[in-house]
Amino acid sequence: MNAALQKAITTLITSMADDALILGHRNSEWTGLGPIMEEDIAFSSMAQDKIGHAWALYRILQEHLGGEDPDQFAFIRAAKDFTCCHLAELPISSYDFSLMRHFLFDHAEAVRYESLQQCSFEPLQQLSKKVKGELKYHTLHADAWVLQLCRGGEESQQRMQAALDRCFPLAAGIFEPGPQDALLADAGIYPGEQTLYDKWLNTIYPLLVNASLNLPDPAAIPPQYGGRYGNHTPHLQALLQEMGEVFRLDPTAGW
Amino acid sequence: MSNQSYDPRVNRLKLGNADDPIKVEEGENWNVYEVFHQEKRGAHHEHVGCVHAPDPQLALVFAKEQFGRRKKCVNLWVVRSADILAFDLEDEDMFANNLEKTYRDASGFKVMDKINKFKGEAVKPPKA
Amino acid sequence: MYGGGYIFDEPNKKQLREEQQHDDPEKLAIFEARISKGEKIEPGDWMPAEYRRQLTRLIEQHAHSEIIGALPEGTWITRAPGFKRKLALIAKVQDEIGHGQLLYNAAETLGKSREAMINDLLSGKSKYSNVFNYPAKTWADVTVIGFLIDAAAIVNQVANAKGSYGPYCRALERICYEESFHLKQGHDALISLATGTPMQKAMLQDALNRWWQPIMHFFGPPDKVSQHSEKLMQWRVKMASNDEMRNQFLDTYVPKLWELGLTLPDPLLHKNIETGRWEYTDPDWDLFFKVINGGGPCNQERLQVRRWAEEEGRWVRKALMNPKERRALPVA
Repeated sequence: MNAALQKAITTLITSMADDALILGHRNSEWTGLGPIMEEDIAFSSMAQDKIGHAWALYRILQEHLGGEDPDQFAFIRAAKDFTCCHLAELPISSYDFSLMRHFLFDHAEAVRYESLQQCSFEPLQQLSKKVKGELKYHTLHADAWVLQLCRGGEESQQRMQAALDRCFPLAAGIFEPGPQDALLADAGIYPGEQTLYDKWLNTIYPLLVNASLNLPDPAAIPPQYGGRYGNHTPHLQALLQEMGEVFRLDPTAGW
Repeated sequence: MSNQSYDPRVNRLKLGNADDPIKVEEGENWNVYEVFHQEKRGAHHEHVGCVHAPDPQLALVFAKEQFGRRKKCVNLWVVRSADILAFDLEDEDMFANNLEKTYRDASGFKVMDKINKFKGEAVKPPKA
Repeated sequence: MYGGGYIFDEPNKKQLREEQQHDDPEKLAIFEARISKGEKIEPGDWMPAEYRRQLTRLIEQHAHSEIIGALPEGTWITRAPGFKRKLALIAKVQDEIGHGQLLYNAAETLGKSREAMINDLLSGKSKYSNVFNYPAKTWADVTVIGFLIDAAAIVNQVANAKGSYGPYCRALERICYEESFHLKQGHDALISLATGTPMQKAMLQDALNRWWQPIMHFFGPPDKVSQHSEKLMQWRVKMASNDEMRNQFLDTYVPKLWELGLTLPDPLLHKNIETGRWEYTDPDWDLFFKVINGGGPCNQERLQVRRWAEEEGRWVRKALMNPKERRALPVA
């Protein structure tokens, strides 16, 4: 593998891992505080899965691409060196926002990992097979909730529509094109952000229609980009501060 | 705002007054579904507990994590608790005599006793 | 996890006498014979009103303790150091909610709805384990809670699992299985600090000093002052005395702390070789009762956060409510 391709794969994996790490953290904040015990448990499992995916991706960086120790890389790095999307960074807000974010993000994950089943970089291809079942449950859970809350009366329907309106440009930011997309596509790593975005829209559109939600016009709303290039909302810095608080007391100690 | 908790999550919440009355309505925790867990293909589905859920689909979604997240599991059933029919426990005596009805049980037939008795009584069998 | 000793209701003697007069003596005899044979009582069985009342109260308090117990440790979810600790902590707090779910279901089989139990928690009418009214100030507190409070809970729960009520025993069987993971991850995290840098050791020792008294309170007042009913022992609702369980806990876990070079803030603490019993300075029982009655450092915050969660989740629950549907209690 040449250096340029290696760098491009590293960039792709870092973004995927950072998304999963940050959103996993956000969603874990609901553990113990969910709307009902059964859902608390389900949502917590999925937060754990996301953090687990991040860990697996950082380990691929370490083992195959000369990356750092995952704990150091995840808990010590500066905000500007993170490449997560803005959608993942925002605080948990209310359950409507958290659920809609989960719905949009996990369908994006499902589409992304599905494309990686043909990935020419073997560690990623293997990971995509491993997480397939988990993501199937995540999207099943998300679809059931979105549909039911949209059919659960006027207030609930309005909340979900408002959450979609707020989340959509942020979710489109998941697919911020990278400078190396063409290189990665040529090397058979993955088809590139634009292709994934189109597939994602095709997946979520019928689900939203079925739930009587209006998808904002993708052409009229600019996606919220910037995260992939290290430009973040102020929420990320605050979260990273918190995440690393104990670890930074002594980063060389065993915890 | 700060609630001056040691928990940063709590400090981000807008907490109400501890004395404000709040009441959860009856039915707000939805209906009850019994959950049956199949550990591996070929095994029976066994009752493992229940979940509160608004409908069968979410009952399955919830059961998967509450009853399938740790031990081995390949499938789950859910059924509304209201749909379970059971005998009264007071009718336990209906089942009481089963063990005495040895004609239903292999142990009720002493084949070897009879064979041994026959062998003991019979003259040596001729060589084949 | 669970603790706080058995906070049984002191029955209203007059009411009790009246109830007992109404208890059919023949049915009572069958019920008591079943228990003395070691058989379990199931939800549809006849049971004395007092048995139902005390058991509901016990299981309900246990359930509350699980969901309130998720809060002090939840404090450190976003700050747990490193992937392994973080995932283990989230999974552990998730288990506490799962235990609450199992226990509320078990209590519901006795006839009280989950909503009614939650309301009694929120209004302060129903108690939860005292130990959760103390704050988890540093990461080391999480390791102390994870190891020692869970260890104490296991002593308690293993005893209760041998009790007489089928649904409670079944829930505890699963709970004890998961607690063994909690104990192990707590012990592992505590050992990392105890064998770590001087800063880590100091952090742990400080946490241990602060938690020692609440841990000594955990099993409830000493037998000499604790009023407990012979009946509850006979009915296998209360399975062991507070002092017996405290002694069992000290016997197993104090050596595990001492072997790591840690100290406990009680100069009198030692095992009497002759009696085989542990001796210690009596913890401040006035403080114990003050905290139970709302005077602890975190009582208010715990309930406020629970109220927030119920309020915040209300629209979600209401949107999916179906009042017309036939509803039943869990069958087992």
